[in-house]
Formats: sequence, structure tokens, C-alpha cells
Amino acid sequence: MADHAAAAVVAHAAHDPNIGSTGLDNRKVGMWAFLGSDCMFFGSLIGTYLAYKGKSISGPLPHQVFDIPLTSYSAALLLASSLTMVLGLSALQESRVKKAAMWLFVTAMLGLHFVLNQVYEFTTFVLHHDLKLSTSLFGSSFFVLTGFHGAHVTGGVIWLLILVMLAMRGKLDARDYTKVEIAGLYWHFVDIVWIAIFTVIYLIP
Amino acid sequence: MADHQAVAVATHGGGSGHATVRTYVHVAIVLAIITALEVATLYVPGIPGPVLVISLLVMSAVKFFLVVGFFMHLKYDHPVMRALFVGPLIIAIAIILAVMALFSAFVLLPRVVL
Repeated sequence: MADHAAAAVVAHAAHDPNIGSTGLDNRKVGMWAFLGSDCMFFGSLIGTYLAYKGKSISGPLPHQVFDIPLTSYSAALLLASSLTMVLGLSALQESRVKKAAMWLFVTAMLGLHFVLNQVYEFTTFVLHHDLKLSTSLFGSSFFVLTGFHGAHVTGGVIWLLILVMLAMRGKLDARDYTKVEIAGLYWHFVDIVWIAIFTVIYLIP
Repeated sequence: MADHQAVAVATHGGGSGHATVRTYVHVAIVLAIITALEVATLYVPGIPGPVLVISLLVMSAVKFFLVVGFFMHLKYDHPVMRALFVGPLIIAIAIILAVMALFSAFVLLPRVVL
């Protein structure tokens, strides 16, 4: 039985066009390379925010507008979504497709909740504090950084919902593990970027 | 079904295995506790600025590496994947430090007043 399974694995790997000459899945290598480049992208935005920190000559200051309880709640949402993502992946690995779809859906909903919190935060900044993209150095660097992160989360939510739809239509099973794992890598990356943003932008005075 | 699982394991990228669900839950609990500590630290009066900044950065780094190591499976993954992520991460940190140095914006070090 074990020999048969091992032979099936070798035969599958030999015929799988996604496995490169290194023996690694090209899709996964590609995703890690993309995440590496995205790291540098967000590094530039965070660096820009920190370089301009405290140099605004007009407009409200960060401590006057930040709602720490709200952003802490948002941080908890993303951390919880990382757990539900790995639970979904684990369920798929055990061929429990419906359970996997349920966890992926919960992950997407937690992500959507995060995005809605961000929309509320941005709206409050604009309407109540008159802080816009062009108001000050703080406004520009803050909205660009957190806006790009929000766009990443939105993309992740759409990706997860597509996977849920595929699972509901019976077009996703344990053989698609790598597809879901790659989506998971992207989702966790969005989470770690928020870990950095939450501390560096919101918490450090 | 066993074949499906074997194929899934074989194609996930050459890693030696993944954490169990129990490990995932434990990591999530630790992450929640650290996040609560981070926020609570802000409300403790009398903490010197540099101590506050360093403690927040350390807690953030621990959270970062817990997610990357366990949830993203990098702890168990092929060294090539690790290099693909850790290399650019080092460059990203260097970019942040370089930009801050160029603009004299270090939060920990006192600024030189001419």
C-alpha cells in the first residue's frame, strides 16, 4: 500500500507540469518570489511614512485621529482569519472539502469585516477630521500605505470567495491543495504586513 | 483518498511536513495574547519612550515570525522558499532604515541639532 502510494506520488510528480527541475512546485516558488517583492514594496511605503513622521506642517496629527480600539479589533480579525485559513487548508488536506469551504468562507468574511472597518476609519478621517490624501505629509503617507494594504486584503477576499465557489461546485478537492496553499500564503502575508503596520504606524507614539 | 493526500503532500513544495491543528490553535492563542499585551503596554503610564518602542517592536517581530514560520509553513518548507522570502525581507528592512537615515527620522536616536 505504501509502495503503491509512493509510486503514485513519483508518477504524479514526473507528469506534473507544475513541478520544475528543482523538484519544487513552480506556482509556489512564484508566489514566494512575489511575496518577497511585495515585502520590498511595503518596506518602501513604511519607510516613507516613518521618514515623514512628525514633519507635517498642517492638518490633524496621528494621535488626534487614530482609534486604537478599532484598529486593535481589526488586527484581531486578521489574526483570527489566519487561523481559519490554516484550518481550511488542513481540512482540505484530509479531503473534507465542505469543511474546508466553510473555513475559507469564514476567512473571507473576517477579511471583509476588516475592509469595512478600514472604510469606516477612512470615512471618519475625511468627514470628521478633514484629513485627506492631499492634506499633509501624514495624510499622504498614511492613506497610500494603509490604502494599498486594504487593496491587498480586498484582492484576497475575492480570491478566497472564488475558491469557495469552486469547492461548492465540486471543482476543488485534495489534489488542489497547492492552489489553496498559495492563496493561504498570500492571505498570511497580508496579515504579517498588518502586524508591522499596526505596531509601527498605530502603536508607536 | 490516500493517493490524493500523498499527491497533495508531494506537490506542496518539498517541505518535510506541516504543523498540526493543535499547534495552529496554540500559535493563534499566543498571537492573541501578544496583541493584547501590545495594546495594554500603551496604557501603562511611566514607561520610558525607548523601552516602549523596543518592547513593541520585539512583540511585533515575534508575531511576524510566528505567522511566517507556522501559518505560512516556512519553518517546514524548502530552503529555496526561505531564501526567496528572507532575502527580500532583509532588503526591505534595509530600505526602511536607509530612508529613515536619509531623512534623519530615527525615532530611537536623538536628532542632531545644528
